[in-house]
Amino acid sequence: MSTANTVLLVVSALLALGGAVGTIAAARPLRAALALLVNIVALAGVFLSLHAQFLAMVQLIVYAGAVVVLFVFVIMMVGATGKVPRSPRGLATKTVSLVVMSVVSLVLVFGVAYVSMPAAHLPHGYGTVEGLGAVLFTQAAVPFELVSITLLVAVVGALAVARGRTPKEAAEARARRAAEGLEADARLAEERRISAEVSAHGGH
Amino acid sequence: MIEHPILFLVGITLAKIVCVLAVAVAAFAPLLIWAERRQSAMIQDRLGPMRANIQILGMNITLGGMLHPVADALKLFWKEDFVPPKADKFLHAIAPMIALIPALAAFTVIPFGNTLYLDALNQVLPADGAIESAHAIQLQIATIDVGILFIFAVAGTGVVGAAIGGYASDNKFSLIGGVRAASQMVSYEVVLGLTLIPCFMVYQSLRLEDMAMWQHENTWGILNPALFFAFILYFVAAVAENKRVPFDLPEGESELVGGYLTEYSSMRFGMFFMGEFIEVVVLGALAVVIFFGAWDVPFLTRSGFDVFGHYLPMVHWLVALIQVVVFILKIIVLMWFQLMVRWTLPRFRYDQVMKLCWKGLLPLALINILFTGVLLLAWRS
Repeated sequence: MSTANTVLLVVSALLALGGAVGTIAAARPLRAALALLVNIVALAGVFLSLHAQFLAMVQLIVYAGAVVVLFVFVIMMVGATGKVPRSPRGLATKTVSLVVMSVVSLVLVFGVAYVSMPAAHLPHGYGTVEGLGAVLFTQAAVPFELVSITLLVAVVGALAVARGRTPKEAAEARARRAAEGLEADARLAEERRISAEVSAHGGH
Repeated sequence: MIEHPILFLVGITLAKIVCVLAVAVAAFAPLLIWAERRQSAMIQDRLGPMRANIQILGMNITLGGMLHPVADALKLFWKEDFVPPKADKFLHAIAPMIALIPALAAFTVIPFGNTLYLDALNQVLPADGAIESAHAIQLQIATIDVGILFIFAVAGTGVVGAAIGGYASDNKFSLIGGVRAASQMVSYEVVLGLTLIPCFMVYQSLRLEDMAMWQHENTWGILNPALFFAFILYFVAAVAENKRVPFDLPEGESELVGGYLTEYSSMRFGMFFMGEFIEVVVLGALAVVIFFGAWDVPFLTRSGFDVFGHYLPMVHWLVALIQVVVFILKIIVLMWFQLMVRWTLPRFRYDQVMKLCWKGLLPLALINILFTGVLLLAWRS
């Protein structure tokens, strides 16, 4: 790894960590979204330092350009203007989560430091658009198509849930409601008649 | 490949950045502001900008309205920088920067000239064939493999700027403007990428310098029927992405006061404003590189003009200069066209904007990709 690459990796990794901490620590939702944006952009930098140029760009296009915008959009729609109150959790919960977090990160750090992994030899054109395209079309065509069909199903499902009624369905629903209304009216009239009779009898 | 000392590379890159910024920001932005005023005056049958003047020895010097951009800049710098009392001050301050940076960053991958050979500036180069040179310079700030994807990537981040600016202003008009900006830009970004796929198929590259070279060696992209349709679709989508009239729903002054710009004043407004104008330049530059042959001049080869055997040799620096100047002129023509669109068409309704995107441009772009594939197969067989 060249010096420039190492510098890029370290700077991006630190920024990514900062962004991640900011995302959970920010009191205002929109600032958390902005910290997430920093995290995502920094992750793209990490990908770049690993020679995955295409992945870095896709990371920016999909996550920074669509996902974060979607988050911002939802926050604006819901209108979360206030601050999130401080967590009411007690000392015990905080201690436990701190311990769990430390153990997991220690295991990760020691794992990376002591387990020797064979240095992978990068094939020609690794991480470029051509390289990824060749792999997609020669080795991973079927999984790729399966994933796209899954996505298509998800899109159709979302549309089915979110779409409004067609004019025909709306008319049917209106007719049903009207019929129910008539029934209810009849029931109400019947009850009134009975109660009137009861009170009339009571009058005697 | 000859290894250059790092200082040489850094120096050359800095020089390129300064040149591009000087043309794109320092020269084009005031020119565009003036042109917009002049153009709108001509279209609306008014007298053009003529108030700003300098009085020297009793003479009024107006330079045909060219002083107005100067007055604009002075005004923006000295105006009160107002921040709404209940606004999120940090986000309010950072939003214009988020909006401006992507517009500037797009220039990194735009090639503005053919390869320059520093040690052969005064020679007539051979028309074709590789040239051995220790000091060959790409006239482009960064030559990266992902090329145009970089522009899409940074443009995607720009959406957040307008949205956050609208939210942080603590103003309902701003909020609606921000929501509109976010949804409109996200929608048109999808279409923008799809409209350009036929170009990637024809040029077989994502690199803008390869596209320019392909057009230099073959023919301008616009002359290809599939790319002609692609250009029309791209142009519409790009104008919408830029949020200018007739797609300026996020600003919509007749309903939203100023949209997400309502609470911005002084240089913070200036940054949004500059970002918009720089995006006009980026749109033009991208269209020129992808569809109009970039720096290519018809009949001009590396050794000089060659019109059907009539040969006019030229030294290398002159050829390079002509190419760069013609590239800038092409951008100016496209910017003029954008101004014409901006002052000719009335604003759409919001549902029309969305319908145009999802039910109009998106299917057409997909069909155009198929059409391009058929054309390519037909040519090859």
